[in-house]
Amino acid sequence: MAEAQRIADSLQCVTFTLEEEIYGINVMQVQEVLREIEVAPVPGAPDYVLGIINLRGNVVSVIDARTRFGLPSKESDDMTRIIVIEAQNQIIGILVDSVAEVVDIETDEIDIAPNVGNAETAKYIDGVVSRGENLLILVDLNKLLSEEEWGEISGF
Amino acid sequence: MAIDLEDDILQDFLIEAGEILESLNEQLVDLEQSPEDSDLLNSIFRGFHTIKGGGSFLSLTNLVEVCHKSEDVFNLLRNREISLNAEMMDAFLRVLDEVNAMFEQIRSGEEPSAADPSLIQELVQMQDPDAKMDDSVGQKETDTQDSTEGDEMAVTAESNINADEAAEQFVSGNDEITDEEFENLLDALHGPGSQPKAVKTAKDSETTPNTASDDITDDEFEALLDELHGKGSAPTSVQKDAQTDPLADAETEKPDIKDKSVEVDPDMISDDEFEALLDDLHGKGKGPTATAASKETSSKSDSSDPPPVKAAKPATPAKASPKKSATKKETSVSQGETTVRVDTSRLDEIMNLVGELVLTRNRLNTLRQTFEDERVHKAISSLDVVTADLQTAVMKTRMQPVKKVFGRFPRVVRDLARNLNKEVRLELEGEETDLDKNLVEALADPLVHLVRNSVDHGVELPEVREKAGKDRQGKVILSAQQEGDHILLSIIDDGAGMDPEVLRNKVIEKELMDEETASRLSDKECFDLIFMPGLSTKEQISDVSGRGVGMDVVKTKITQLNGTIDIDSELGKGTQLRIKVPLTLAILPTLMVQLGSRKFALPLSIVNEIFELSSKKMSVVDGKEVVMNRGKAPPVFFLRKWLLNDCEGMQDYEGDPQVIMVQVGNAAVGFVVDQVIGQEEVVIKPLDRLLQGLPGMAGSTITGDGHIAIILDVPGMLKAYT
Repeated sequence: MAEAQRIADSLQCVTFTLEEEIYGINVMQVQEVLREIEVAPVPGAPDYVLGIINLRGNVVSVIDARTRFGLPSKESDDMTRIIVIEAQNQIIGILVDSVAEVVDIETDEIDIAPNVGNAETAKYIDGVVSRGENLLILVDLNKLLSEEEWGEISGF
Repeated sequence: MAIDLEDDILQDFLIEAGEILESLNEQLVDLEQSPEDSDLLNSIFRGFHTIKGGGSFLSLTNLVEVCHKSEDVFNLLRNREISLNAEMMDAFLRVLDEVNAMFEQIRSGEEPSAADPSLIQELVQMQDPDAKMDDSVGQKETDTQDSTEGDEMAVTAESNINADEAAEQFVSGNDEITDEEFENLLDALHGPGSQPKAVKTAKDSETTPNTASDDITDDEFEALLDELHGKGSAPTSVQKDAQTDPLADAETEKPDIKDKSVEVDPDMISDDEFEALLDDLHGKGKGPTATAASKETSSKSDSSDPPPVKAAKPATPAKASPKKSATKKETSVSQGETTVRVDTSRLDEIMNLVGELVLTRNRLNTLRQTFEDERVHKAISSLDVVTADLQTAVMKTRMQPVKKVFGRFPRVVRDLARNLNKEVRLELEGEETDLDKNLVEALADPLVHLVRNSVDHGVELPEVREKAGKDRQGKVILSAQQEGDHILLSIIDDGAGMDPEVLRNKVIEKELMDEETASRLSDKECFDLIFMPGLSTKEQISDVSGRGVGMDVVKTKITQLNGTIDIDSELGKGTQLRIKVPLTLAILPTLMVQLGSRKFALPLSIVNEIFELSSKKMSVVDGKEVVMNRGKAPPVFFLRKWLLNDCEGMQDYEGDPQVIMVQVGNAAVGFVVDQVIGQEEVVIKPLDRLLQGLPGMAGSTITGDGHIAIILDVPGMLKAYT
């Protein structure tokens, strides 16, 4: 019984890094991880949208997690990855510094996000999990595009 | 009976009846204009009849009842026993609404609820003359004579007399045939087909010859019937009718018999001639023969005092008869065999696949240069041709006449005009213009909105019009025409027009724009203000319009379809709205250009010419760069500056840039690009929600070499960047 409860309450996360922080997103929302491929910029797009990529014949927009989280942008390198996720019936790519691993998290390990850091980041945070020395920040993808923007988008 | 939406028969019925309802809608409005049109009356009658037939097969009692009553009334109408008046028109339109509502219920799996009893009552009252039916046998004969001319009206004259009546008449009217003989006849008739309802046909048909004259002996008649039914061998549609509804069957077959009986009527045609005629009619069935036959008939019956009007214009009956009489069976057979209903999602799927195929072909075309082998070249060339053909063919399957959308407007305009106490005439032009199915559907709502606007805001009240020296009746023209690879839809009214000043004041009043900006707007720009959200010039909000939400939705919708909309208006003269949409949404011929390392696609349709920048002289006029070309100085824009990042855009390109002249509306504009790659047909991949609505970007596509190219929306881009 207790065992079953624990399984039900655990969560698998894909972790990625930005600057020195580790972030996690629910594995169920991740479709695939790509090495950085050519991103075609779209003129006039919001600054956090890097552009679009050709994902096997489908056109997918890529957003820059750094810009979205209010971090300075960085030249891409060998470790740079695009995580293709599905949020609210939409497929988007997120450019991150690197992708690390898949971890299991118990729901009761998750703490409410401390009210620190810049406001830009705080908006998208679901909670934090301490892992030894490190802190794993859980990202709420549905909020990654802020609510006003979702409203804006569904208006079309 | 519970509604089973999985039921194929129900689904077929819904589709078929849906189409009939659509045309009924149109026909009823037409009928109001020409209440005497017997073709129209007949086809409305048949429409209700068919729905009733299908409905009764599916035990949709409430639906059947209202259709049946309407059918009865129309039967009287087309037999000229009663005449149409305005109340009846209203009642019929209400009937149609009721029936439509019932279909909605059926579609959502509910049993249709009963029609408004007062409406049924009304319908019943309309049939008042019905009481005189009994002594109207003579009149019916006259009708029958009418049918000699091939007028379809009388052809079906009796089809609604139900079995009881028919039998009664048969018994009371003429006792010449004994029941036994009758049985025999029936046997003869139904030997092969054994369709229960043809009994009635036989009864009816016998009634007529007997009352008329006894020139045909039973034997002959039998022979004739044999002839008729021997060949029939139950074609699909007829059989279906027979299953669904007896009367439909009777209707299908009766024309033949009727024709015969009537021809016999005047005693002028000998049996031989009659035989010959029948042979003519039935032997070849279609076209000229049948026409000839009916012409002959009409000329013959001339002597037996036919209504002169009909005889005077043999062309009309000649046209009607081959369709409605003997050939009816044959036509329906061939139709049944040549068309297939296909689920639209399947068509979409095919279209997507063709799109992918086009992309692959483009890729192969690009790779072609790397192959040395002649055979590979040949194979790719033929693939190229076949793909192009396939693409056109698939596109054609998705084309639908714009009539599909236009069809609903007569009703919309009529109802609206009545509501508003206006007199409005709607003219439809270019209904046959074909358009991609998705477009037809997508355009429906914006068009309804615009037409309603024209009637509500545009056309003035009759008194006002008279004062202004105009015709009391306002006119709204809805037209469609193909212009190259675009469709131009216009909505033109001769109403009050729009006052740019009013619009200007309105935006200031609603604080949508400050006074200074507003005062700088040209008249034309003022008209465009109506597309701004939150703007309405109507002081009062009616249930029709005035909430100020409509026009910007219309604009957004049209833009989504890669279309443009523009307005022209003259105060006191009227307003003209023009919508331009591409023929299809899926595949776009483009001109690929290069800027730096990136590729962009311009819709080929707007490209006028391409030349090298160095070959022309550039100058600066009023702070704008222009290029001298063909005696004109159109402005040129460096796309690099617009579309590449700052650092890239500022670097001057080393090679010789090219200028692409494009036509935007009435203006010619030049775009400077690094290099023109060439023409390519691309499949539009819409930008996802994150990027949708970006000014100047119409979508994206995957090029032959697997890269992404952005498709530019030139008018939008000009607006956003200049």
